[in-house]
Amino acid sequence: MKEAQSSSTSDFVPNLNTMASAGCNMTITVGFLLAEATTTAAKDNPKLHYAIIDDNSIKAPNVKPVVYDTAQAAFMAGYTSAAVSKTGKVGTFGGINLPTVTVFMDGFAEGVKYFNDKQGKDVQLLGWNTETQQGLFTNNFNVIQDGAKFTNNLIAEGADVVMPVAGPLGKGAGDAILAANKGGKDVKLVWVDSDGFLTAPTYKSVLLTSVIKTMGEAVETIIKDDLDGKFDPAPYIGTLENGGVALAPFHDLDSTVSADTKSQLDEIKKGIIDGSIKVESKSSPK
Amino acid sequence: MSITEKSAPSKVTDPISIRSRKMPVLLGSLALFSVVVFIVLGPSGTATFRISQPSDVWQVPNLVLPAKAMGVLVSVICVGLAYLAWSQTQKTGKIAKWVVMTFAVVFVVGLMVWIIGGTTTQNITLVGLFTGAMLITTPLVFGSMSGVLSERSGVVNIAIEGQLLAGAFTAALVASITHNAFAGLFAAALAGVLVSLLLALFSIKYVVNQIIVGVVLNVLVSGLTGFLFEKIMKTKVDGVTIYNQPAHLPNLPIPLLSEIPIIGPTLFRQSIIGYFMLILVAALWFGLFRTRWGLRVRAVGEHPKAADTVGINVNRTRVLNVLAGGAVAGVGGAYFTLVAVSSFSKDMTGGLGFIALAALIFGRWNPIGAALAALLFGVAGNLQSILSLAGTPIDGQFLAMLPYALTILAVSGFVGKAMAPAADGEPYIKE
Repeated sequence: MKEAQSSSTSDFVPNLNTMASAGCNMTITVGFLLAEATTTAAKDNPKLHYAIIDDNSIKAPNVKPVVYDTAQAAFMAGYTSAAVSKTGKVGTFGGINLPTVTVFMDGFAEGVKYFNDKQGKDVQLLGWNTETQQGLFTNNFNVIQDGAKFTNNLIAEGADVVMPVAGPLGKGAGDAILAANKGGKDVKLVWVDSDGFLTAPTYKSVLLTSVIKTMGEAVETIIKDDLDGKFDPAPYIGTLENGGVALAPFHDLDSTVSADTKSQLDEIKKGIIDGSIKVESKSSPK
Repeated sequence: MSITEKSAPSKVTDPISIRSRKMPVLLGSLALFSVVVFIVLGPSGTATFRISQPSDVWQVPNLVLPAKAMGVLVSVICVGLAYLAWSQTQKTGKIAKWVVMTFAVVFVVGLMVWIIGGTTTQNITLVGLFTGAMLITTPLVFGSMSGVLSERSGVVNIAIEGQLLAGAFTAALVASITHNAFAGLFAAALAGVLVSLLLALFSIKYVVNQIIVGVVLNVLVSGLTGFLFEKIMKTKVDGVTIYNQPAHLPNLPIPLLSEIPIIGPTLFRQSIIGYFMLILVAALWFGLFRTRWGLRVRAVGEHPKAADTVGINVNRTRVLNVLAGGAVAGVGGAYFTLVAVSSFSKDMTGGLGFIALAALIFGRWNPIGAALAALLFGVAGNLQSILSLAGTPIDGQFLAMLPYALTILAVSGFVGKAMAPAADGEPYIKE
């Protein structure tokens, strides 16, 4: 097994070449930015197998796209957030306006809307507009205090649940929420990608839930299939149904979510799986 | 000789070569812009600025301005000032400073009212705008002060980014190990000095091109901290990353001062690093322009040969200044991990060091100017976030670009003249 991390786009092709010449039968590339380099590598090495995560643009016999319909899990997070909000306002912000980011925000927005329709409430979502596909973006994924800044702005406008979709900037959001709660507010955090309770334990006390992509299991299955000689290039789409995406448990904040909400969430999950509830996002993988 | 002949003003033979009409033309077109945009295309309704936070002791009522009326008022003042500037140019060839300054302030107010009147909520938090801006402004100020110190003595400092990043990393690591934020702060200053030491060694002793050394140092620090971050900080002990949990520097609100609307929450509810920043800017300004030390530093930066002739040790002055700059930027880096947020992450300075460099140029190598430029950049950055929350029709990316467009204008000499120290970037070799 070989591992390489590209620090810039110019590293993509050399890293993939290293993998091929090292005799890797299966190479997994992570991120849609690698799509072009992966296509080239797959063409040059038709006998080797590739899988690319978060991209569904490649059509090649030896490339398996792995994508996640995160909007489904984010829908449940949006519903939960709207249900626990006391101020009637929830907020979100993203790193950069990209499909893999906005798919979370779309799902979240739909979930809030569904809550309003079902419960006859008027919970507002700050930071994202599904129709115009415009919202709050820090335009970077590394200046963590931008996460704190944007969260403070959301809190100042009255949001009491915040979902940052900006990688490491989520830590800035967590710090801002911890500071705001020290000053007498009651704000909660929704983590994305992994279960924040395990990956960002500092924010346990304010962590409502997480929108999870279970990347590990999908990749494991693909590698196992490949070893068994059952590789197929049909895209894998992670959904609530196959467990590729999920809503994390509420952990320490379990008591803040009412039993009613919990049973409604179970209904919603069933509804999304059987198709009676449609989660619409322009960025959902097709 | 008669008296009239004596007092007659000396005739200028070619007035066009002396009288620059750039400024009146610029003001005139901006005034025209304000008439068209603020009045004709102006929004109806009001623009609300929230001045107090709910937790403040003194609650100042919101500032509610009628957008149309403000547009008319601003436009009238702008047109008047533009005319005044034109007539002053015709008469004396010069424009009084207050005319341009007032014009700028009034125009910005008009622009803000126009933008906020055009949003869906027509309501923004003014105090949140400034307090949020400080998260970016503080490291920018430290970075630009590092630049002032070294560039005033004639060494170009491109390595600010690296100094900030080294400071941020070292502060996080040392504060995690010692559980003492002050130890982290001290170590961060030391890390900044180390980066500076390399800059001084190569650019002063070995006379390598200073810009190249700076760029290489940035890449070196980014790579080194990234590597150590992966190897040390990601190490988990009992499931917790113990080397990336720095102790926090608490905010120390100053009684009374911290209750002044807007200024209090922005400047007087800071950590010790924030107060140090205020003192540093004032001290550097005083030191550079009012003391013997400052005169010597400036002499070395402007004309090293002359300074050498009168017995100033040029290279020693430069080395000391570059090292001091490193310490300052290191402390600024500590702000990232000890105050702003509570952990280090790879390349977390995200290019702010280069923006500090822009602030330095925008502020014309003057500590106070650079600090104000840093504040402008910070506010402009946060304005983008606050306006998208208020639902502005203006694209966020466009707003994010504004400060840099301003910098280009400043550097190209459009807003006054930006003049670097004459010997900036030139090594001094004694003949």
